[in-house]
Amino acid sequence: MTHDRIRTPQIIIIIFLVILLIMAYILHMDLVVLFNESLIKLVMNGVLALALIPMLNVGAGMNFGLPVGIVGGLVGLCIAVNFRLTGFPGFFASLLFSLIICVVFGWLYGLLLNRVKGREEIAGTFIGFSIIPLMNYFWTLAPFQNRQMLYPIGGQGLRPKIGLDPYFYNVLDNFCMIKISGFEIPLGLLAFYGLLCLFLYLFFRTKVGRAIIATGENEAFSRLSGIDISKIRLIAIILSTVFAGIGICVYSQSYGFIQLYDEPLSMAFPAISAVLIGGSTGRRTWIFEAVLGTYLLQTIYLLTVPIANEILIPELTEILRTFITYSIILYALLYRDRRRIVY
Amino acid sequence: MDSLFFLFTGAAMTNILDIKNLNKSYNGIPALKNVSLSVRAGEIHGIVGANGSGKTTLMNILFGNPVIRETGGYQGEIYYEGVSLKTKNSTEIIGLGIGMVHQEFALIPDMTIGENIKLGREETNRFTDRLFGKKYSFVDRKKNDLNAESALKKLGVNVDIGVKIINLSTNTRQFVEIAREIARADLKLLLLDEPTAVLSRDDASNLLEDLTELSQGGLGILFVSHRLEEIQQICDRATVLREGEVISQYGRGEVSTTKLARDMIGHTVSKAMAKKRAIEPRPLVSFQQYSVEMPGEEIRGMDLDIFEGEILGLAGLSGHGKSALGYGIMGMYPATGEVVYENMKIDRMDAKANILKGMYVLPDDRQALGILPDHSLAENIIFTGDQIKGLFSMNFGLPFLGFLDKRKVYDHVHQLVDDFEIRCTSVKQKIRELSGGNQQKVCIARALTVNPRLLFVAEPTRGIDISAKEKILKMLIDINRSRHTTIVIASSELDELKRVCDRIAVMVEGRIFKVLQPDSSDVEFALALAGEEGTDYDA
Amino acid sequence: MRYKILAEKLFNMENLVPTVFLLLSFFAWQFSGLSGTFVLNQVITRFIRDGILVLSLIIPVVAGMGLNFAIIVGAMTMQTALLFVINYQLAGLPGILLVFFLGIILAVISGFAIGHVLNRVKGKEMIVTIIIGFLANSIYQLVFLVGFGTFIPVANEEIILSRGIGVRNAVDLGMYRNTIDKFWLIKLGGIEIPLFMILVVLLFAGIISYLLHTRFGQEVKAVGSSHEKAEIAGINVNALRIKVIIISTVLAALGQLAYLQNIGMFDVYTAHMNTDIISCAALLAGGASIKSANIRHAIVGIFLFHTLFIVSPQAGQNLFHNAALGEYFRSFVAYGTIAFALIISTKYEKK
Repeated sequence: MTHDRIRTPQIIIIIFLVILLIMAYILHMDLVVLFNESLIKLVMNGVLALALIPMLNVGAGMNFGLPVGIVGGLVGLCIAVNFRLTGFPGFFASLLFSLIICVVFGWLYGLLLNRVKGREEIAGTFIGFSIIPLMNYFWTLAPFQNRQMLYPIGGQGLRPKIGLDPYFYNVLDNFCMIKISGFEIPLGLLAFYGLLCLFLYLFFRTKVGRAIIATGENEAFSRLSGIDISKIRLIAIILSTVFAGIGICVYSQSYGFIQLYDEPLSMAFPAISAVLIGGSTGRRTWIFEAVLGTYLLQTIYLLTVPIANEILIPELTEILRTFITYSIILYALLYRDRRRIVY
Repeated sequence: MDSLFFLFTGAAMTNILDIKNLNKSYNGIPALKNVSLSVRAGEIHGIVGANGSGKTTLMNILFGNPVIRETGGYQGEIYYEGVSLKTKNSTEIIGLGIGMVHQEFALIPDMTIGENIKLGREETNRFTDRLFGKKYSFVDRKKNDLNAESALKKLGVNVDIGVKIINLSTNTRQFVEIAREIARADLKLLLLDEPTAVLSRDDASNLLEDLTELSQGGLGILFVSHRLEEIQQICDRATVLREGEVISQYGRGEVSTTKLARDMIGHTVSKAMAKKRAIEPRPLVSFQQYSVEMPGEEIRGMDLDIFEGEILGLAGLSGHGKSALGYGIMGMYPATGEVVYENMKIDRMDAKANILKGMYVLPDDRQALGILPDHSLAENIIFTGDQIKGLFSMNFGLPFLGFLDKRKVYDHVHQLVDDFEIRCTSVKQKIRELSGGNQQKVCIARALTVNPRLLFVAEPTRGIDISAKEKILKMLIDINRSRHTTIVIASSELDELKRVCDRIAVMVEGRIFKVLQPDSSDVEFALALAGEEGTDYDA
Repeated sequence: MRYKILAEKLFNMENLVPTVFLLLSFFAWQFSGLSGTFVLNQVITRFIRDGILVLSLIIPVVAGMGLNFAIIVGAMTMQTALLFVINYQLAGLPGILLVFFLGIILAVISGFAIGHVLNRVKGKEMIVTIIIGFLANSIYQLVFLVGFGTFIPVANEEIILSRGIGVRNAVDLGMYRNTIDKFWLIKLGGIEIPLFMILVVLLFAGIISYLLHTRFGQEVKAVGSSHEKAEIAGINVNALRIKVIIISTVLAALGQLAYLQNIGMFDVYTAHMNTDIISCAALLAGGASIKSANIRHAIVGIFLFHTLFIVSPQAGQNLFHNAALGEYFRSFVAYGTIAFALIISTKYEKK
């Protein structure tokens, strides 16, 4: 397995990262600060990448419908903020609300995806796209009461960007932060991430988890062995959706804002490309691959911002981001199918 | 005598197809050895052979199937009207005036009969022909359909030309397929691969008449069939293939079903591995009007009793339903009919429920259905027992957790690995790294872990080297004797069935044709496989 | 088999979807309070603006490749041609002709490349075309936002951002604006009918219909029904699929040219955005599925979909006093129609 984990895209990405690091050094950037930030970025985006694993492992492909879980998480966040819950209780309340909502969303999403076997990716993309305008109705019409969440004057409904500063901005980031000579290690944040990874790791060792992996590897075998394929897929899809919900909660507490409306539309793509950079081939994926991929991708993004500003084309960051993201996904789509023929 | 015949008629009838010393192997395993044969204009040349005789390979070569080139091409020469076909692809071969009727129909399901018959050769509007060339010229639908209709009429088939293929019966599809070929003005040689396999007797005899007429019109026909009577009836010459070699060639008048049957199966020297014994005819499971819709291997209204404690062999040519029996029970394909197991009617063909009742199926396609290639040997062995029966789970009081009890797993797996002599570096080795024989042993070990009363095994020795074959067969006998597991073996290796089984049921066209004793003669088997009653053979 | 026929009787998608759209548009129009003339004029404008783009989707659907979201690449190739010609300041007829031919050449090249890529992912074309579209968009941005002024010499300072690198967000096409649209403009009461452009769109519809009735078209249908069977029947499936994508991409490029000249203002980075989604949704609204599509679906679809598109913001405003709600509704309709088509068609395939 290890010998084919490092392939062309990984090599290119690592070379690219090295070039960026050299440029950063030449441009006299503070690498320590960048390193500190990279750890935050890892967890901030890492949970969303973890969310892809259950569906990849059950053989339902890359979850392009990640926005389904993300909006579920956003609803959870909004409820917590609506009740003006602050600090850890606020954050955990938002997780709890997200969990409940995402189970329902994931269940519905799973029922739909079970009807489109073999075409989950394109169907997921459009289910994800369509839920955004649907939720826009919710953001506009839902009876939230906290004034700080609403459009100040003239508008109706929630504002597109809700500041988390008074509630639970950075509660996790700053929890157990260790500072040693400029290095800032967000121990609490990393521990939380580690716990989620551990949970997934253990989950795939339970009976259901093992059935998920077997189904992803050989669905016909599983069926012949008496596994209820639809149920197993449903469980994996719900888990993926729940993790997406948790992922956006972690993301928002780091970022400091709840971003509503069209913002989650294309959030699935960076998460997918992160997992692919980590070495996944669009089938069974290891937790390590998701973590590594997120770290590499986020570090590259982090480095490109100041460098692009330095050479006076600020748009370059965003363009490079999308370019890397989509070329990796395209590569994976092509590569995966070629491999299937070889088998 | 073939050459003599040629001498007499050589001047009048020229060979349009000449195959000389054809050799083909897949990954070093020979599929065709020194095959030579020829087809003359106006002649029907029959080819007979059992599964694995090289018929399909020969047809694939003639059809220009890309599979041949991808696996390293072939040696020897094929001349069609003096032109070598070696470097030609299927489009070019068709262009030369060779028509092909494939076993799996090359008909486009969503297009009408007319469109299919004229596909690629549509009648086009003259004006736009000159304007844009044939390919981009407007199709004259009316003329097209008329032309197609006349081709169908030639075959004596009356159907509405505007019906889509998807709505046709298999019978009619076969005629459409043939009509497509004979609608061509340039057709000189027709290759037919088992054209009557899907036809009813009446339709088959109609088709045979049509073919005779066509050949009298000067068309050369290469006719592959396993129905020996047909070969006898219409072929001017016949060639028998066995294990890739030409066993015999007969001229007109010499062809007889008995000779063909004997040559096709060959003389097998088989010593029974298991002693003959008397089995009490008490059915463990009985099937009535049982049908399974497995594409290409349909079972159509089968009646069969399987006795408790026996080893029953299921023989049959491929496509006649022998591998669908187990899949139907496990709900892999829609199944209908009555199944009574231990005096209880089974109403739901559901894998989990039926595994719990004591049935288990080992599939014929091991790579696709039998293993989890990236999982370890141990995980493969315990999978079903663990998932369905919960044999290896630790629950800590919470039933949904079910972490693996590693020690229990390894004790069990080591025991089986030792018992079955499964060769591996460790029980954690990935199963795709094992040889076919060891993979099959793992599959059997998995079956034993669920401890079934009734075990269906399909093609247990396919893709396994000879020494391992013997072991696998022995394992099956041991399991049957020591655990009293009733075993049903579906196999195309008649020889093996004869050595292992207590009874052998021969399947033809999705039904049990005959139940024979393992010591019945080869000719009896050959005729039964070909669906011939064979009451008056002269062995 | 039996279920399929039964399901088709109960739930004839080909008629159901357009009927739903018709009802929705009708009620939305009633609530919007817009005049019939206004809506009709707008729909006619959309028809000549988006018509060819929607038509460009038909052949890939017939060839069994699903909705070709990569038509956005065709749109971008035409914009690329346009920007290069504007950069070298070729005005007048030679300029337009050069745009035209350069655009087509680029579209052929990219169609060829996309076709090759899609041959490797048979059965998963749609997700790949959508990613190709996104990727092409970032390459496009890279070329015009970063490439111009760095690697590509700037000949026309007017279109360049003040920092000297990158093309401006909007480039005026004043000299080309509505030139062809005004051709043969017929006024019937308040309704303006740009007869020439309508004929152009119908001409393209005719060309596609013609192509599908040639030997080539029969092959396309055969491949669309079953590419394995078509291969056995002696059709070179891969080559055919590449041709299909080239045709689609070229049509999309021409469609984008019609679109841009109608709008008259060229939003360099956004003009092509969502053309794929909107065109696909329009085609589906007319009763097409991801397995079958014809000219009627495209034409009916454009009218139904764009009527809804035009009236829904105003209807939202009047119903809920919030135009945004109408906007959400129309993006939901665009995405939702495609999602619905995907879910429904896979269900049918399973029988």
